[in-house]
Amino acid sequence: MTSPAQADTEDVIAPRPQPRRGVSLRDAGPPIALVVIVGIFAVLSSDFRTIGNVQNIMDAAAVLAVAACGISFVLMMGSIDLSVPGVMGASAIAVALLVANNRNDNTMGLLGVLVAVLLGAALGCLSGIALVSLKVPSFMTTLGVSAVGLGVATLMFAGVQPNITDEMLRGWAVNRFLGLAYLTWIAMACVLVGWLIQRYSRLGRYAYAIGGAEEVLALSGVKVAPYKVAVFTLAGSFYGLAGVMVTSQLGAGLVQAGAGYDFRAITAAVVGGTLLTGGRGGVLHSAVGVLLVTVLINGLVQIGVSPYWQGGVQGLIVVAAVSAAVIPQRRRNQVTK
Amino acid sequence: MKFTSRPTAVVIGLTLAAAALAGCSEEASGGGGGGSEAGACAPEDVTLVGQVRNESNPYEASWLDGGDAFAEQVGLSQERLTYDGDSTKQQEQITQLLAGDTECLVMNVLPNGDSDTLPIVEGAEEAGAYLVTQWNKPADVNVTDYDQWLSHITYDGVDSGQQIGDALAEAIGGSGGIIALQGILDTGAAKDRFAGLEASLEANPDVELLDQQTANFSRDEALAVTKTLLTKHGEDIKGIWAANDDMALGALAALEQAGRDDVAVVGIDAVPDALTAIEDGTMTATVSSDGPWQGGIGLAIGYCVATGELSVDDIADEDRAWFAEQFLITSDNVADFKAPEVDESDFECGNLFSRSQGAIQ
Repeated sequence: MTSPAQADTEDVIAPRPQPRRGVSLRDAGPPIALVVIVGIFAVLSSDFRTIGNVQNIMDAAAVLAVAACGISFVLMMGSIDLSVPGVMGASAIAVALLVANNRNDNTMGLLGVLVAVLLGAALGCLSGIALVSLKVPSFMTTLGVSAVGLGVATLMFAGVQPNITDEMLRGWAVNRFLGLAYLTWIAMACVLVGWLIQRYSRLGRYAYAIGGAEEVLALSGVKVAPYKVAVFTLAGSFYGLAGVMVTSQLGAGLVQAGAGYDFRAITAAVVGGTLLTGGRGGVLHSAVGVLLVTVLINGLVQIGVSPYWQGGVQGLIVVAAVSAAVIPQRRRNQVTK
Repeated sequence: MKFTSRPTAVVIGLTLAAAALAGCSEEASGGGGGGSEAGACAPEDVTLVGQVRNESNPYEASWLDGGDAFAEQVGLSQERLTYDGDSTKQQEQITQLLAGDTECLVMNVLPNGDSDTLPIVEGAEEAGAYLVTQWNKPADVNVTDYDQWLSHITYDGVDSGQQIGDALAEAIGGSGGIIALQGILDTGAAKDRFAGLEASLEANPDVELLDQQTANFSRDEALAVTKTLLTKHGEDIKGIWAANDDMALGALAALEQAGRDDVAVVGIDAVPDALTAIEDGTMTATVSSDGPWQGGIGLAIGYCVATGELSVDDIADEDRAWFAEQFLITSDNVADFKAPEVDESDFECGNLFSRSQGAIQ
């Protein structure tokens, strides 16, 4: 519009990265690694560099992207979250029982999805409250909440697999818009929303600050505890949505819907440049990490690496990628607080 | 000002502790008043225990139901134990059981893994409880070296892998490309079943294995792997061989999302969803080990020995560790397996080993 206004915005925004000068250069590591790996696979395999396979990679990354979005906030804060399998399992079964299915007469549709996401948020909230009120390390409280979630899921499961017949929820996995499944668009929307929360809301900024220097924040008069609970609640709602997405993909609610997603999400976040010590990284980093991990899994299959070798090769590449990304910050690279 | 008051913390702490305890607790064995000698229990004094990983698995739940059916047949009830796939928890449950009255205790156990079998066997041997194990046993441990370990039952994975391989070959008309989804690669089940597929491929030379990947027995992983393989091999794929039904169902979801309905899919385990898929015609075949029968037969063997109707010495060596019969399910016979029922005559003391397909080598 007018140049004064633009100058104004620049004035406000420009100083912000100042204290962390050079971060942007370091942050370029994971995206460069992604481009390099994509390039290598594209050269090695003609099957890899097809439009169909790019769609496939994006679709395959969707669920992990949403889970990684949630876990990024927790990691930014310097905590860790192992509740993903339990929360995803509970919401996966819940949504399968609330929309049209073969077990009962519910047909709640979109409302059922909302309830399942809220269930995830409630379980996340429980993690957060247990963390701040009991002062137990987050990996213990979240491990407990994961068990609670799996318990809730098992109770709802009651021995008979709920298969969904709801057209809308099934359609999310099957129908495509601009070549990508609806679920993939939902995942992209989640990354966008997550990034907006991280960048522009007080919650996101405080999560960073808690991870960077919790004591300083507390000393400056900020009540930290409610923000911690809110971060876990937010993360829980992302896992809840991820559980719903798994149910949509498989057409059935599974107790094990989230099995393995805890470490996969943490791996993706760390590969993307989010530090386990907190205070650095974020949703976009994790999204890059998710793509890196997904491309890796896909590419090793496409170039025809034997399944007996894949696990080991994947691990090596991940370790190499992480160490390359964190070498500049290795003094901060402890496990967790 | 603190965010939460101390009472809140206490309440939450107690709730979590209670949840944890509830998860770990198990009922102690009731235990009958008891016969004094092995093999001389009065039928009403026998305690029947069935132990599996968890009841959220339809197959294992049907196993315990079969145990209940047998118990009802002899006028007793079965104690249902589950250990959530946790080896430590399984051992704790067994230890607790064996600490009670073990004179007439009969246990039909699914050990979590090969390495979990021996401690259970040695515990039962020492306590004098009657034990039948299924599925998992280290190859170098011989059942005949023990008196209280009556029998070990398992299934020939090579045979089941081959049966569904043959069914798949037939479904695609004897020629064409297939892909294989393997289980967890370092498990005996995955190795044996894949060896069965290889044997089937030898017998069907026109069927070509385009690719084989692991999906770790998981429905979710099978979905992703199958989608990738579909983009890689496209129309060349005529059939999908999966080492269990969960992966077969994941593959079916991937086919649906890719808009393909011309691909035959086979699995193993006969889970309810797979049976429904076979009934609908979307899936071709699966193999059943007959869970309810497994739940009943272990208790039946123990019961017959405990009550003296059968002596351990009279059980032939080849019936101490044996492969049981398994059933190929296709659209022709799926109706018989939709509501599995136990046949009382299978559990009569003279008929216990009628399903044997031979000793485990």
